[in-house]
Amino acid sequence: MIEYLLLAFGEIAMIFGALGILRFPDVYTRLHAATKCDTGGAMTILLALIIYTDASIFIKLKLLVLAFLIALINPMISHAIAKGAYKYGIKPKVVVDMYAWDNP
Amino acid sequence: MSRVPFYLKERLEEIHKRMLYEKYETQKLPVWERITLTWIVLFSFWVVITANTSLDNLIIGGIATLIIASFMRDMLMEDVRHRGHLIEKIIYFLLLYAPQYLIIMAFRLIESNMKVAKNVIFMDIKPGIIKIKTDLHSDTGVTILANSITLTPGTLTLDVSKKLGETYLYVHWIYAETLNREKAGEKIKGDIEEWLKRIFW
Repeated sequence: MIEYLLLAFGEIAMIFGALGILRFPDVYTRLHAATKCDTGGAMTILLALIIYTDASIFIKLKLLVLAFLIALINPMISHAIAKGAYKYGIKPKVVVDMYAWDNP
Repeated sequence: MSRVPFYLKERLEEIHKRMLYEKYETQKLPVWERITLTWIVLFSFWVVITANTSLDNLIIGGIATLIIASFMRDMLMEDVRHRGHLIEKIIYFLLLYAPQYLIIMAFRLIESNMKVAKNVIFMDIKPGIIKIKTDLHSDTGVTILANSITLTPGTLTLDVSKKLGETYLYVHWIYAETLNREKAGEKIKGDIEEWLKRIFW
């Protein structure tokens, strides 16, 4: 029962992440939607697979390693994209920008 | 007037003691502990990846990972705090620290997904880039803190700067509630920094 709930939550999170990439105004707010919804959706779908499948314990452990790698790599990539966009010169639409105060 | 030098002397002694304590805490682990911890991580990864528990496979994997661990001992375990015995460290980490972190981060991840869905539907955003200060100094600790901040609701780490022995993080906040540095740091970091300070320095 709980695996269907996890699967449904993952699918809904992925859909809202895609919608957020389309609707938010600039690069940095779009990265919010991409990072969080992709990480949460992929990890909950993998957890549902771990509970649902009746394979041996090593297959489940391999899926768990996959979830750990997703949780490790995804925020790092988003950080790299955000810093690269800032260095390239894309100005964020913000109320206060303390990064521009310190790096004129 | 005669009380001021005494007061200053007390204060100086306190700072000196504090500095000695910090120096003791930030020492590296002894060599055999670093090798053993790296070997445990690598060997468990070997067993999971090969999916084979026959004796030959375990012996080959143990020898190979021991050789790799003796070369690579500084890569993983450089920034771990110097406290307690080795077995005590392993038991505390497996039974107390790792479940605590996993539970905190699981609930925050679910909350952040729901918050992004709410922001997409209502578009009530007021973004801002805020600078906050952390008490962590090591590379591994700051990396894990920045990744955790990216996964918590409404925040995204942009950059890290180290100046004069203090570490600052630049955080893109999707709804900037306050511009005060202490209040913003308290709200963004939460109890993850307290957790990380027990393991990394």
